[in-house]
Amino acid sequence: MTKRVRENLRQAATHTVLLLLSVLFLAPLLWMVSTAIKPLDQTMASPPVWVPDRPQWENFWKALSYNAEDLGYIPFLVYGRNTLYVTVLAVIGSVVSNALVAYSFARLRWKGRDLLFGVTLATMMVPGPVLMVPTYVLFREFGWIGTFRPLWVPAFFGGAFNIFLLRQFLKTIPMELSEAARIDGASEWQTFLRVIVPLARPALTVVALFTFMWAWNDFMGPLLYLTDQSTFTLSMGLQFFQSQHTGTPWNLLMAASLIVVLPVILVFLFAQRVFIQGIATTGIKG
Amino acid sequence: MSPRREQWVGLLFAMPWILGFLVFLAYPLISSFYYSFTSFSVLRRPIWIGLENYREMLGDEVFHLSLKNTLAFTAGSVPLATVAAILVALLLNTRVRGMALYRTVFYIPSLVPMVALGVLWLWVFNGQYGLLNEVLRRLGLPDPAWLSDPAWAKWTLVIISIWGTGNAMIIYLAGLQDVPQSLYEAAEMDGARWWGKTRHVTLPMISPVILFNVVMGIIGTLQTFALPYVMFPGGQPARSTYFFSMYLYDNAFLYQRMGYASAMGWVMFLITLALTLLALRVSAKHVHYEG
Amino acid sequence: MEGIRLLGWLAVAAAGVWALVGSERAASRQAGSERVVVTYWEKWTGDEKRSMQRVVDAFNASQDRIEVRMLSISGIAEKTLLATSGGNPPDVAGLWADQVVQFADAGALEDLTDLAREFGISESDYIGNYWRMVVYQGRLYALPTTPGCNALYVNRALMPPEYDSPEEFPKTLSEFDRFVDRVSRKGPDGRLKTVAFLPRDGWGLWGMPYLFGGGFVKDGRIDVNGPDDVEAWTWVHSFAERFGARETQAFRSGFGNYSSPQNPFLSGKLAAYSDGPWFGNFIRLYNPKVDWFAVPMPHPDGRPDLAGYTWLNLNTLMIPRGAKHKREAFEFIAFVQRQPVMERLCMDQWCNTPLARVSREFLERHPNKAIALFDRLARGERAVRPVQMGIAGQIGSEVGNAVDRMDLGEATPRQALDEAQKRLEELWERYRRQVLAR
Repeated sequence: MTKRVRENLRQAATHTVLLLLSVLFLAPLLWMVSTAIKPLDQTMASPPVWVPDRPQWENFWKALSYNAEDLGYIPFLVYGRNTLYVTVLAVIGSVVSNALVAYSFARLRWKGRDLLFGVTLATMMVPGPVLMVPTYVLFREFGWIGTFRPLWVPAFFGGAFNIFLLRQFLKTIPMELSEAARIDGASEWQTFLRVIVPLARPALTVVALFTFMWAWNDFMGPLLYLTDQSTFTLSMGLQFFQSQHTGTPWNLLMAASLIVVLPVILVFLFAQRVFIQGIATTGIKG
Repeated sequence: MSPRREQWVGLLFAMPWILGFLVFLAYPLISSFYYSFTSFSVLRRPIWIGLENYREMLGDEVFHLSLKNTLAFTAGSVPLATVAAILVALLLNTRVRGMALYRTVFYIPSLVPMVALGVLWLWVFNGQYGLLNEVLRRLGLPDPAWLSDPAWAKWTLVIISIWGTGNAMIIYLAGLQDVPQSLYEAAEMDGARWWGKTRHVTLPMISPVILFNVVMGIIGTLQTFALPYVMFPGGQPARSTYFFSMYLYDNAFLYQRMGYASAMGWVMFLITLALTLLALRVSAKHVHYEG
Repeated sequence: MEGIRLLGWLAVAAAGVWALVGSERAASRQAGSERVVVTYWEKWTGDEKRSMQRVVDAFNASQDRIEVRMLSISGIAEKTLLATSGGNPPDVAGLWADQVVQFADAGALEDLTDLAREFGISESDYIGNYWRMVVYQGRLYALPTTPGCNALYVNRALMPPEYDSPEEFPKTLSEFDRFVDRVSRKGPDGRLKTVAFLPRDGWGLWGMPYLFGGGFVKDGRIDVNGPDDVEAWTWVHSFAERFGARETQAFRSGFGNYSSPQNPFLSGKLAAYSDGPWFGNFIRLYNPKVDWFAVPMPHPDGRPDLAGYTWLNLNTLMIPRGAKHKREAFEFIAFVQRQPVMERLCMDQWCNTPLARVSREFLERHPNKAIALFDRLARGERAVRPVQMGIAGQIGSEVGNAVDRMDLGEATPRQALDEAQKRLEELWERYRRQVLAR
């Protein structure tokens, strides 16, 4: 009895703290929602208005069809399709390439492996801006400016963080499993595909999710490489709402932002358990 | 499998990364190293000027200031964000109903685009009408001009950085779930309460995760760009929020000084490297590895 | 064996990638068109974009060889530079005149001098100052679209009777200082309620040294710390102390967004506000109840020769180096320069005109009732062009920082400007050596 009371008290206390903190952490999102359904003249009111007098739900539709009359099509749908195209390719590329490479680092012995792995870890420290200019020059030489390729092709060649994550996980799978497969006459490729990949699914999910979120929100890449408006991605489209003189339609901007963020939030909500388990089992520790 | 074969198979599996590393990392790195010794705008061929860019940095006060700002911001935000993320992760690791929802809620700020967030923070921290000062005034506390006072502007960004700890938080949470239950049970047998368990079991067990997150945090914070860029254009007030990567970006794209920007990038790389090694060295005694 | 199989898989993957890449390339190809397609990047969105779109449509309808396609581009300056260096620039780029020098120095622009001569476009068609903003080292690099210049908007409701009209409004700085003291007032809570004028809020105040007879560049030399400059910024700085530094700071932090009803002028916080002719549109959009008139900025006492100061800016059309349809692009640019086309565009965007000739209809039917004043100021002797130097951006950043430091009490105006001057001289010296000396 007392134990149950104590347990209930503990639950209630935890809920209270969590709820209070939730309000703090939800504030940005609530503000977005509130701004999204405001008439424009209330968006910048001071002091700020949290609950608009007359919510304007049509802002969402307006945001979707913004600029439609100028362009002859609905840009946010086109942006959505472009984003999806880039994101899906990047996720596929990232999962495939990082799995292969991490497998090699974790479970195969070859000369130069440890050196290359050390270098791989060191590359995580290279600041993005250092690479920005030469990478741009490189893609220019390839003739890729104005195409989607700079945004997804690199994903097919692995990334240090994901390789590290996967390698740590693959190292925890007992070597005996591979030995057994080999004794059964499986090739290294078959061992990888039939034994290791199924076991590595949680970790692969993490890689997929990280890549998804990164590609979905990537701003610098599209900013540098996409030139034609019909190829813009959603994050670019958002930026596009900020106009020069006539003022930013903040309410539509927030409505559009919500449309962009919502899928990501949903993906996270449903995948968080696998996500956390995946990271837990990869064991980031050395 | 013979070692010779394994050598080849290993290389083959690693081939995507070897190629990717050479093309997308090594090549740009080497060329940026070369550019750092040149005067170079995207349209003109680079011209060799030797060490001049590096020499210029020695006397460039804005460079020094941006570096100082960045280091101060890192020193403020990494520890604070680390403590906040661990505390939240501890909370999210308890067993209460609706946890999936809570976890999502705490992760949400990391998912909201910077452009959208920047505007909100400008309101929260507004000196006169801001939400925060409204609360502070009611509590009878001082109400600083968060945005326009150079002494406070950096702190505003430090405070905001707590909201962006979603990824670190998730990784801590994962680390917490990895701590064997038996250790807690043993500690309870010894009569340890919550703090005792946290102090003697949890923190040592997740110390490798802390190290990982701190290192990633240092790397990320040193590169801070989007939020100050949106909230404090040009590093106002009086360049107190003018960070290293903002100055680098301005040099590369606004002033067309790609060579100087590349040299700055390399300095940043070396600083990151030094700080990372320092973190590893300092932590060597305190981090607990299993087996 | 396995090695081979793995190679096979990689080959299949590579083929798949290739197929996707191929299809992407096919998809990005333009649909066939008989006309030459001229791509035109513009920074404008919304109403401003719509007004330009009407010009584009009129041009496309006026002939059957060329089709201009306008795209709104965010971060247009960086994008244009990058695209130009990538060998894939637009045919026309709608940039600001501020970029002419830097882009020309970077080798990013086509020289338009000969084309202009061929199309019969010459200096005499334009207001001299606007023309000089698109010419650099004797070569023409751009042509104007909509220009701007500033004057003082005054909220009549906040004026005591003695300042109630353009004629009665202060003409000299000492009169203006008295006006500031007379009109500014605190609310019942002891906080600032209305301030007559703040020299750091509004557009066109950047050239304050010129108002005092100084400037950023004198005789081709960077000179931001001459006696007139120090006097100018000291005057600007005096406002931070006039009402108390902290009090002013708190007051300013209550200002809303520029383009919103909470704009300090539109919400009655500032009684006089410097801005360009387009601001009339913002009054109409966000607070049409404001009863206003416009006057020139006041001039220093005893210096009537300095009266009529205004700060110029200019939107332009340029052709980036390597554009595929230079000639067709210029044909479009020349079309925009025709007086009826240009005047219509400027009226739609609430701007004055860059052209030397102005129709009576333009002045009479312009939506901004003070257009005659703006037009007169832009043509005047005291109209100031932005600095035409490759390091103009750094000049802005350094002087801006110096002013920040004065207001924060970190340095006296003299010290702050001396330091800015020293740094700018170094930057300019380096720029000359590294960029211009080639």
